[in-house]
Formats: sequence, C-alpha cells, structure tokens
Amino acid sequence: MKINGTLISYFFICKTKLWLHANRINLEDNSEDVRIGKILHEINEEKSKKSEISIDNIKIDKLTRDYLVEIKKSDSDPEAVKWQVLLYLYKLKQKGVERKGKIEFIEKNRQDKKVHYIELDEVNEKELLDILKRIETIINQDTPPQAKFENKCKKCAYYEYCFI
Amino acid sequence: MAKNHTRYIFSMGELKRKDNSIAFRNEKGNFYIPIQDTRELYCMNEVSFNTKFLDFISRAGITLHLFNYHGNYSGSFYPKEQLVSGDLTIKQSMCFIEQRLVIAKAIVEAIAANIYETLYHYFRHGKKELKQTLDWLKNDVKKFLCKDLTIEQILFIEGQIWSRFYDSFKYFLPKDFVMNKRVKRPPDNPINALVSFGNTLLYTKTISSIYETHLNQTISFLHSPREGRFSLSLDISEAFKPIVVFKTIFDLVGKKRLQVTKHFDKSLNYALLNEEGKKIFIDAFETRINETFMHKKLKRKTSFKNCIKLDGYKLIKYIVEGKDFKPFLLKEKV
Ligand code: SF4
Repeated sequence: MKINGTLISYFFICKTKLWLHANRINLEDNSEDVRIGKILHEINEEKSKKSEISIDNIKIDKLTRDYLVEIKKSDSDPEAVKWQVLLYLYKLKQKGVERKGKIEFIEKNRQDKKVHYIELDEVNEKELLDILKRIETIINQDTPPQAKFENKCKKCAYYEYCFI
Repeated sequence: MAKNHTRYIFSMGELKRKDNSIAFRNEKGNFYIPIQDTRELYCMNEVSFNTKFLDFISRAGITLHLFNYHGNYSGSFYPKEQLVSGDLTIKQSMCFIEQRLVIAKAIVEAIAANIYETLYHYFRHGKKELKQTLDWLKNDVKKFLCKDLTIEQILFIEGQIWSRFYDSFKYFLPKDFVMNKRVKRPPDNPINALVSFGNTLLYTKTISSIYETHLNQTISFLHSPREGRFSLSLDISEAFKPIVVFKTIFDLVGKKRLQVTKHFDKSLNYALLNEEGKKIFIDAFETRINETFMHKKLKRKTSFKNCIKLDGYKLIKYIVEGKDFKPFLLKEKV
C-alpha cells in the first residue's frame, strides 16, 4: 500500500483511525460541516481550477522554486503536519526534485500566519522510513488497534464507530 | 443533531436544478429546497425530472425515494459515490457463509425484545390479557433460540413472534382497526395498510442509513440475499419495526388521529391510506424516528434513525473484529 499524507498524519493522531482509514472504513465525511463543504466544492468544481499538484498519490498545496508549501487551517497537530511534509519532500527527492518545506498555519479569525520551515536531512529521513514501516505493520493487522477513549475522540468522526 | 433532513413531496409536479437549489414546480408555483439541509427526497406522487437534476442531487449526496400514488415503493436513486470497501464485502460474504445463523438469531431476539417492550406498555396500563404473550416472548423465545437451529427454524420462530404480536392487537386497539390476518399485497384492511406503509418507510430509511456505512446491501443474514437488492436493509430494519412503525401506528390509532372513515380510501375498502392519512402518518413517523434520547453506551444524544446506522456499525465490528452483534434494544437504549 502506498502511504500518503493522510495516513502518516493519522499515525500521529490515532492508530485506530489509521487502521480504519487504511482499511477503507473511512467515515470522516459524515460530519455536517464536512458534508456541506464537500457539496459546495463538488458543485462548484466545474468552475474552480485547482492549484493543487498531485504526484503519485500525494497532493501538494504549492511548489515554488525553493519550497514545498503546505497550508493548514490550524496547528492542532504540528507533529503530524511535520511528518506529512517530510514525506512529501522525500517523495519529491526520489523524483529528483529537492526542496525545503514551508508550513503555513492560517488560523481562523487571526491575521498573522505562523510559518515553519523544515528540511529533509539524514536523521529525519531515517526516522521517516522507520515510521513508514511501522505504519505498514499496523495497517496490515487483521483487526484495528483497540480504541482508547481520549479527549480528542469527542470530536472525531470515528467516535460512534469506535465506542458503539 | 437529529435535524430532519427529509423532504416529502406529495403533489404532482416537476423537480429541477435551479442554481444551487432544488426547485419543485407544480400548478401552484415554484418551491425551493435548499440542498444543504436535504439528504433524502421522497416523492409520494407523480414527479418528473431529467438527468441534469439527477446529476445535481448525486453530487450533493442526496438520495431520492420514489413511491407511486398508492404508496407503494418504486425504487431509489443513489449518488454514484458510494462508500465501498472490497475487503469488507469479502469479509461480509465469509460471514454469511460461516456465521449467518448467529446474526439471524441476534436479529430475531431483538425483534422479540422490542415487541415485548412495546406490548409491556399496554400491560402496565391495565391490559392484563397480554400476560401470556409477554411471558412467551420473554421466556420461550429465548429458550428456542438457544438451540441449534436451521435458518428455516429461525424464520419460523420469527413468523410466530409476529403472528402472536398481531393477535394481541385485539386487546388494545379500537375494534375497527383490529385485523384478523396479516395480508401484505394488497393490504386488505386499514391496519394492514398502515403496517405496509410504515414498514416501507422504515425500509427506505434503513437503505439510506446503511448507505452511509460500508456494508454491502445485498448480503443479508436473516432474509435470504436473493430477496432483493437491499436485503440487508430488510434485516437491519426488523429490530426497529416494533419501536418505530408499530409505536407510530398504535399512537395514531389509539388517539384517534387516524380514523377508518376519514383517512382511508373508501373506494378500495379502506385498504389504503388517502392523501390526508399519508400526511398524518408520515408526520408522526418522522417525529418518532427523529426522537432523541441519551444513548447509554455513547453517552450522547441520539435518534432512532441514527441508531439504525449504529446497528450497521455494530455489524461491521462483528464482521471485522468479531465483536458481539446485538441490534438496538429499546429497553437498554444501546
Ligand atoms: S474516536 Fe478516538 S480512538 Fe476512535 S479513531 Fe477517533 S481518535 Fe481514534
């Protein structure tokens, strides 16, 4: 299985979610906000030309001469975003494209955006490969890792599935 | 939560896309239905539309259920983007081969338990004649279901449960509504008409709910998968019939909000609801299915309608993880 940005971020957010999503039990479209957003997106799709770039199975927000830019709406999971970007940098590098990573957090109701820079180096590349291996192991298990209730579950789209 | 996303159209007319809304036109003019709060559209009368309209609602993730004038279900239109999981379908098929009886028994047990709850209400209010049926539901059914049974035997028990349930109506329903036997097609008396109409509504709701899960609608356990395209929805809806469909019927009939001479079609021997009757029924049905309560396990408010989807999740967990499958029980609210 090809590991994409969503899977690597779920690895940091929740292993149960990682397994469920990877095994095609993907429920995140159920929340009303997401649904409405998706509807409007779907319907207006004809008009909008997306600036997103798609390479392999990853989607990149923006690629400039120096940077790969990832834009996020909140910085609630900085660790997950960091590894997501490192994965993209790694995939680009394999195609002979070397860039640095730039992460922009655009918080709602706030003007100033936080920007983080990140580079793929020998150390984190090794760590990345190790993470990818661990993700493979988890998603290849027959059953999902046991869900343990934490605060984040309250807002998770999988809540009903996990705790029914 | 528990917002009602269902729209019913009772009159003849035409459905169209108008910008980002659904427009319904009949001789009285244009009506607009915002897509944001719509998930299901029920056409209870002759309605026309074109493929442009279907493409639009498909993108918006809206399901269309079609009924003919007599209230018979004709079919549904589904958005193309379905949650499908090849893996799950394979496991679901294996589960049918290896565990069919376990799931079928669980469903029948839930039917009996939920009928028990429904009847117990009348017993508590003085209908002591129900005692025998209640005891039978509580003790005997459980004992039968513990045995090694074939699917035919399980279906036989299910049949017995329903027929005893119908037999008990004479103790608490007004005389003109009591039925002698359950005849499905065509319904030959008012109560049969209500049961058929209610079961069909519940069935379409279940189809929509299961559609939000990754289950394959054609692989069912109690009903034979040969029975139809959505036979799994027949299975999942069973446990909810007593508490949603029959509860609605008993309330409407008991409170005389539905009356034989007023709300049924006389020319058809009162064997079909008339338009006014259908509206009253649908209104009460929607209210009931969207009624909210605290889910004992999730510790959240939920509706009966959402519990249908949750039963789908339980089934997935049984199929994928081997967790016990127990359909929704009114008494335990899980
Ligand atoms: S509900 Fe909790 S355990 Fe389940 S997927 Fe979400 S975060 Fe993970």
